[in-house]
Amino acid sequence: MNKGSSYRQPVFCWQGPLYLVEGEGGWRVGLSHNPGLDQTFWLQRGYRQFEVLTPPLPLGAAVFLHDLVAGYLATGGQRVTRGWIMEMLARGRARMGLEPWTRVEKVAAQPLPPPPAGELALVRNTLAGRVLWREELARALAERRLGVNTPLEDLCHWLYLEGEIKLLPGVSYDPDGRPRCRRCGQSTGLLKVNCAACSREDCLLCEGCLAMGQSRRCRPLYARPWPFAAASPARPAAVVRPRFRFDLTPAQADAYREVEGFASQDKEKECLLWAACGAGKTEVAYGAIAAALARGRKVLYACPRKEVIRELHPRLQAVWPGLQIRALYGGSQGKYGEADLILATTHQALRFYRRFDLVILDEVDAFPLAGDPMLYYAVERARREQGQTLWLTATPPPEMVARVRKGKLAVIYLPARYHGHPLPEPEFVREPFLGPPGTGSLPRSMVNCIKTTLGTGLQLLLFVPAVSLVEGVAAWLLGSWPGQAPGGAWVRGCHAAHPRREEIIAAFRRGEFPVLVTTTVMERGVTIPRLNVLVLYAEEGRVFTASTLVQIAGRAGRSAAYPTGRVWFIGRHLSPAIAEAARQIREFNRLARRRGYLTR
Amino acid sequence: MPAFINLLFPRGKTCAWCGRPLDRGLFCPHCHRELYSWQEKYLPCWYCGRLLAPGRGTVCRQCREELPPFRRARAVGAYRGILKELIWAFKYQGRRSLAAPLGQLLAGVVVRELGPARPHLVIPVPLTAARLQARTFNQAELLARALGRELGLAVSGQALARVRETAPQVGLSRRERWQNLAGAFQVQEPALVKGHSLLLVDDVMTTGATAAACTGALLAAGAAGVEVVTLATGIDSIANISP
Repeated sequence: MNKGSSYRQPVFCWQGPLYLVEGEGGWRVGLSHNPGLDQTFWLQRGYRQFEVLTPPLPLGAAVFLHDLVAGYLATGGQRVTRGWIMEMLARGRARMGLEPWTRVEKVAAQPLPPPPAGELALVRNTLAGRVLWREELARALAERRLGVNTPLEDLCHWLYLEGEIKLLPGVSYDPDGRPRCRRCGQSTGLLKVNCAACSREDCLLCEGCLAMGQSRRCRPLYARPWPFAAASPARPAAVVRPRFRFDLTPAQADAYREVEGFASQDKEKECLLWAACGAGKTEVAYGAIAAALARGRKVLYACPRKEVIRELHPRLQAVWPGLQIRALYGGSQGKYGEADLILATTHQALRFYRRFDLVILDEVDAFPLAGDPMLYYAVERARREQGQTLWLTATPPPEMVARVRKGKLAVIYLPARYHGHPLPEPEFVREPFLGPPGTGSLPRSMVNCIKTTLGTGLQLLLFVPAVSLVEGVAAWLLGSWPGQAPGGAWVRGCHAAHPRREEIIAAFRRGEFPVLVTTTVMERGVTIPRLNVLVLYAEEGRVFTASTLVQIAGRAGRSAAYPTGRVWFIGRHLSPAIAEAARQIREFNRLARRRGYLTR
Repeated sequence: MPAFINLLFPRGKTCAWCGRPLDRGLFCPHCHRELYSWQEKYLPCWYCGRLLAPGRGTVCRQCREELPPFRRARAVGAYRGILKELIWAFKYQGRRSLAAPLGQLLAGVVVRELGPARPHLVIPVPLTAARLQARTFNQAELLARALGRELGLAVSGQALARVRETAPQVGLSRRERWQNLAGAFQVQEPALVKGHSLLLVDDVMTTGATAAACTGALLAAGAAGVEVVTLATGIDSIANISP
């Protein structure tokens, strides 16, 4: 959020009454921030009686009551009476915990002229496949250099009345009266706040998705699915064929054909590409992208981490020079334009609505996607209901693994690295008396690991389970072995909040010192050619989960310069996570050998 | 499982800012250390609370030239690092759940720095109606209410109102800033403030002009005295002394 601009702009706050209209087809209930518009709309359709039922309500409350009464009207048939409608409203109000309203101003609004058709068309097109606040819609129009004279909320409301778009409160109520954020889908992290926009003391605000702006009960979201009829025509094969600068390995080529098959037909709705760390899963996913684009489909490549999206954008642009590719992340320019292929962080995916035929979700287990239902909700909603999802990961979460094992989720394996060597299998070393750093001498097993590494001129990444252990373990090593490297410490430590983190990592990459003590911050995105890996206190299951250990082990042996890197897990006892990680790695190696992908 | 691992990973309470687990207090040792790291390098000006480098006396140059109308002002720390990020998340991102921990930080300042005398009323620096509508909340009022709850003090969000928007203060001298803000604040309920000592609450004090203008309005309405507490304040360096 730019504090210099957006926070000073008034944010549209939706407040309006519920009303009843009566025509030949019977009663209909409606809600409006500007009832004059609704009068015009219903008059045009032969409805005559227009009666205001409630005082102005915040959108979340109005939608809840509207749905309640509308459901009653739909099922009540001839038994519907006005008295029953009022009874339903009173019950609904009580379910939400709202104060009873005493007096309802029943003066009907004057009918207003309908909005111009041209302006309605602009909003309809701009909103296609998106879910936006009014302010975001205004920015989207401005980005496309489009302007309207009618207030945007009126244009959107007319489209809502026509059934073209959905009107969603930022925070609304489930049928049982429990509040839920409609932007991020969460029912936790909601605060009851005093809101100066709607002048209510019981407004609801979602803190779960605040990074994307305030989602409140009184703030409307406008959503429009991508119109099916507007699917792009199939693209020429020459344009969508990826231009690889290298040949795919046999393992990659097989997986490529399989993902291509997945995206070329609509048999399965989702599929997991389960790849070994460093096996080149992104290149394999190009197969699915190319197949979907060839069918004129819309594709989203989403990843939780902004750095991955930024790094991927030029790579993909080089692979598909003839396609327009747009990268969306916090701070990127132009968030609302069209493109053949959209790359987005999972947060940015919150702005799409039923738009994509294929969603590729990379690093599903990485922070912050792992365990964050909001981001699953975002990518799920961005996909069209009939669309497909391809999950890419080296370490799928346990529930996904369980679905694979039960045969409920299609899986494509990519078990081998490009150099044809097996993945380094972890060696577990039990140290039952391993104490906190600095207590006594270094365990013999650790001494052996370090000697093995330093003796062969390699580097060692030493993982510990907590930031507070980084400095302690580094000092322990230095204290036990002071004179390893002349002219500077041979061991250094770094963690996520370390003030010189980038500098230390860069120096380690340059090989300026041989041992780096670190936390799980280094579990991904690190490729050091000649590297061994050691995990200390590996039994600490709250930090070193099976996925984390597989990722950590995946740092070793990535390069053809030293494909047989060693991985040691040192702990007081063998934890289930250590056993599971070792099992997964062994299983991948067995599969790779069986399929003939291993050349050594 | 050995005890030291449990010490490293206690379950339950987490740091109000970084979410790391903690045993007691609001902030983890790392965040706490960063919040108060200014104390190793600076002292607050006795009057306005701006932070002074050692050897530059106990009163800043601005206060030596002209004393502010409030008795004293104090802040949790300098407007930088974690405190700046906290204020940004609270004020601009609207993370209102931070009001309670930030109010507790303010309460700590009041108890430690402003002495045992209890103010009669806590008053937040008000926003104009338009700004309040745009932001949907007054960050100073949320802080004042959290502080009031913590110390058992009465809070009034209506006693003082901002009746006009003012021109940007950038490039103005201290006196010009005070003049720019003159008449911007008005006491709405004089009976609440007359003859009483008051505590004015704001999120950030930059030059002290806003606090001075509020104090001027409160003193004109008969307040016995005003003290000011803010989350953050400026550092009195040569660069930001000269307008």
